[in-house]
Amino acid sequence: MSVAAIEAEGLTKFYGRRRGIEDVTFAVAPGEVFGFLGPNGAGKTTTIRALLDLHHPTGGSARLFGRDSRRDSVAIRARLGNLPGDFGFGRQASGREALRLLARLRGVDGLGRAEALAERFDADLERPLGQLSRGNRQKIGLILATFHEPDLLIFDEPTSGLDPLMQEEFLTLVDEERERGRTVFVSSHDLDEVQRICDRVGMVREGRLIAVERMVDLLGKARRKVSVRLSGPSSLEDLRKLPGVTELALADGHASFEVAGDFDRVLKALAAHHVTDIEAVHPSLEEVFLGYYREEGE
Amino acid sequence: MAGQVAALVSSHLRDRRRSLLAWGLPLGLMSAFIVAIFPSVEDSISKVVGKYPAGLKEAFGIGRLSNVEQYLHAEMLSLIVPLALGYLAVRAVGSGLAGAAESGRLDVLLSAPVSRRRLCAAGFLATAIELAVVLAISYLLTMLGSVLAGAGLAAGPAAAGFAGVWPLALLFAGLGIVACAWSLRTSVVTGAVAGVLVGMYVADLIGKLDPGFDWLRYASVFKYYGNAIENGIEPVAFLGVTAAAIVCAALGAWLFERRDLSA
Repeated sequence: MSVAAIEAEGLTKFYGRRRGIEDVTFAVAPGEVFGFLGPNGAGKTTTIRALLDLHHPTGGSARLFGRDSRRDSVAIRARLGNLPGDFGFGRQASGREALRLLARLRGVDGLGRAEALAERFDADLERPLGQLSRGNRQKIGLILATFHEPDLLIFDEPTSGLDPLMQEEFLTLVDEERERGRTVFVSSHDLDEVQRICDRVGMVREGRLIAVERMVDLLGKARRKVSVRLSGPSSLEDLRKLPGVTELALADGHASFEVAGDFDRVLKALAAHHVTDIEAVHPSLEEVFLGYYREEGE
Repeated sequence: MAGQVAALVSSHLRDRRRSLLAWGLPLGLMSAFIVAIFPSVEDSISKVVGKYPAGLKEAFGIGRLSNVEQYLHAEMLSLIVPLALGYLAVRAVGSGLAGAAESGRLDVLLSAPVSRRRLCAAGFLATAIELAVVLAISYLLTMLGSVLAGAGLAAGPAAAGFAGVWPLALLFAGLGIVACAWSLRTSVVTGAVAGVLVGMYVADLIGKLDPGFDWLRYASVFKYYGNAIENGIEPVAFLGVTAAAIVCAALGAWLFERRDLSA
């Protein structure tokens, strides 16, 4: 059995009496893309900082590649790339200068695939970081985290500030890293982003890990809001009978309802009607949490 | 690995290259001006200073002003240069640790396989080099002023005078690392250590002015600072204060390893 890329066991961090995270336990397998999902302030960044030995846990332990996150921190960091949340590197240094420094600290000859990544993300390596917009700085952060082709990539809110095209490029990059067998740990409060790339997801709320689910299972529990415009008279009684469909309302040719689980049955039921427009909205993060709790209650 | 420390030191110095000139030029030009005007004010200064109380003259290191070296010491090397360089040392070491934490740079550096101890060592070493360069610029400009004005400043004693400031300032770099283990806010680190710097100067001054408070001087590094431009560098004091600076830096690094890192 291969050693987990990340293994947290009862990881706890208190700042004085204030709770950061409490009793967080999970494992990420090698080659897996794992999403760490939760609202701002839930404890995602605290968990990452504890994994990276930037914050010392007050309880529990973490192992990366089978090594203790505190005692073997330096050796562990040789095998990972990290994009911190709210990336910064001072105002004066250019991206290229930051890369050269990181390459020397990592003992990497040259800048690896940094040039190719810069071209791909349309990143300016020459201008001082203080003169770059937030999105352009974030691109430099992504390159610094990935240029040396690490075994484990840790991203904290990676697409923050990126425009939609670059967000897409980032998601493609993660897919490629997965294909190359790399492990990716992504912290995010954006469900769409996590949904696109993750195999499994851990949900953290108020410092506690409330669930670890496969992405498909999580989405099955989430309720999408569907809005349909119909032409001609319809009762939609067939829809009402479908399991997972709730809150059905019909007025003036406009139907709205919520769907949990398989969407295919809904589409097939709608096919019997003359649909002129349809919109399905993904649930917000809070709604996913509520959906999860509702399911647990049932 | 020495390569990591060298990379961090060169990066630190590159980031602070403007500061080398921003501190070296004013201090050097001011010292050059002091030296250059000495021939024209020598007589009047001696008469004025002769009327000062003996204790005051001793306290401020202006017992005699019969030559340009004594004048340079009284005007620059007894107060302005040590206080300025002590403050620069805290700023420099603070920017490498607390400033890096505030800008997010520390998180990126510590994503690489580099230990916190090595990071502190690099900050301390870079600051030691920065102080030496600023002192060298100041010294060279002072000598230039002397040559242009024909003031006759002796190169060797002047070099000793500027070099004597180095360990004193370095001690505040060491204390700066200790302060960074306590807080990663630049303003807190700079304010706290600058307060210690001024406090030590005042303690030394009080001890000199009133023999009843001489014991206060033992709490101040200025007791061991002396007057290198006149008496030459005192090796025991020079090495002792340098060793104290290294001990402070090592203690700071040890404490820095044990704290959570976020500004």
